[in-house]
Amino acid sequence: MFIWLENTSLALWVSGSYYAYPALLSLHIVGLAIVVGLACMQDLKLLGLFSTLELERHLALVKLALAGFCLNLLSGLLLFSSQASYLVTSVPFLFKISAIATAMVVSVLIQSRIKSTQPASSSVKVLALASLLLWSSAIIAGRLIAYV
Amino acid sequence: MLEPFALAIVDSSLTQWIQANYWLWPILEIAHFMGLSLLIGGLLIVDLNLVGLLQLRQSATHKLLPIVVIGFGINLVTGILFFYGEPMRYAVNIGFQIKMCLICLAGLNALFYHYKMGPLMADWNSASPPPLAKLIAVTSLTAWTGVLLFGRLIPYVGTG
Repeated sequence: MFIWLENTSLALWVSGSYYAYPALLSLHIVGLAIVVGLACMQDLKLLGLFSTLELERHLALVKLALAGFCLNLLSGLLLFSSQASYLVTSVPFLFKISAIATAMVVSVLIQSRIKSTQPASSSVKVLALASLLLWSSAIIAGRLIAYV
Repeated sequence: MLEPFALAIVDSSLTQWIQANYWLWPILEIAHFMGLSLLIGGLLIVDLNLVGLLQLRQSATHKLLPIVVIGFGINLVTGILFFYGEPMRYAVNIGFQIKMCLICLAGLNALFYHYKMGPLMADWNSASPPPLAKLIAVTSLTAWTGVLLFGRLIPYVGTG
C-alpha cells in the first residue's frame, strides 16, 4: 500500500520536482510555529503565567491554530507520500505521529474544560503540562527522523 | 560582509568541537525549533492583537514579551553555534543572507514600535488600533514568516 502511495502521481511530483519538497518543508515549519506556538502560549497561561491575558476559549486563536494544523496535515501528507514505505518503518516518525495525535486529543480535552472567567483547575493544569510535553516530543521526534 | 568573518573562525576550536559531536547538531536543531515556537507563538498574539483581530488589552498581551525574548535568545545562541559549526556554508548561502536581513528588519521594526509607538499606545484599549500600529504588526508578521521560510530553505538553495 505504501509503495503504491509512493507511485501515485502526486507523490512522484513531490519527490521529482526540484521545488516541491523544500517548498512543502517551508510551509510545514510555518504551520509548526503557529500550532506549537499557540498551544505553548495557552498551556503556559493555564499553568499560571500571564495572569491578566485572557487567552482561554479565544475563538480567533483556536481557529488560527486549527488552520495551522490543517496546513501541516496537508503538507505533512504530501511529504509523507514521497517516502511512505521508508517512514512507516521509522521509529521517530511513528513516535512523532503518536505524540501529535495524543496532543490533539489533549487540546480538545483542554478546550472542553476551561472557562474564561475562572482560574484553571488542577486537572486542566495537568493537561496543559501534558500538552507542552507532547508538542516538545513531537518536535524532538520529528527532527530525529533525519538522524536515526 | 559575512565571508571575512567566516574565514576568520573556520579553524576555531569551537567549530572543530561542534563538527566532532554528531548528536550536538540535532540537539541544537531541536532547541532552535522550540525557540521559534515560543518566539512566533507569542508574537502572533501580540501582532494579531495590534492589527485589531483579537480584542485583547494591549498591556495584557505584553506579558508574552518575556517568552518571546526567551525564544529569541535560545535561537540566537543556537543560531550562532550553527554558524560556527559550518561558517563557510552559511556565509555564502542566499537563504541564510535573506533570513538575516529579515531578522534585522524585524528587530528595527520592534525597536521602532517600542520607542516611538509604545508611549502613544499606552492608553489604547483594543477598540481600533492606529494605522501605524497595524502597519508595524503586519511588517512584523511578514518578516518573521519570511524568516521561517528562508531558514528552512537554507539546505536547498545555493550561494548568493
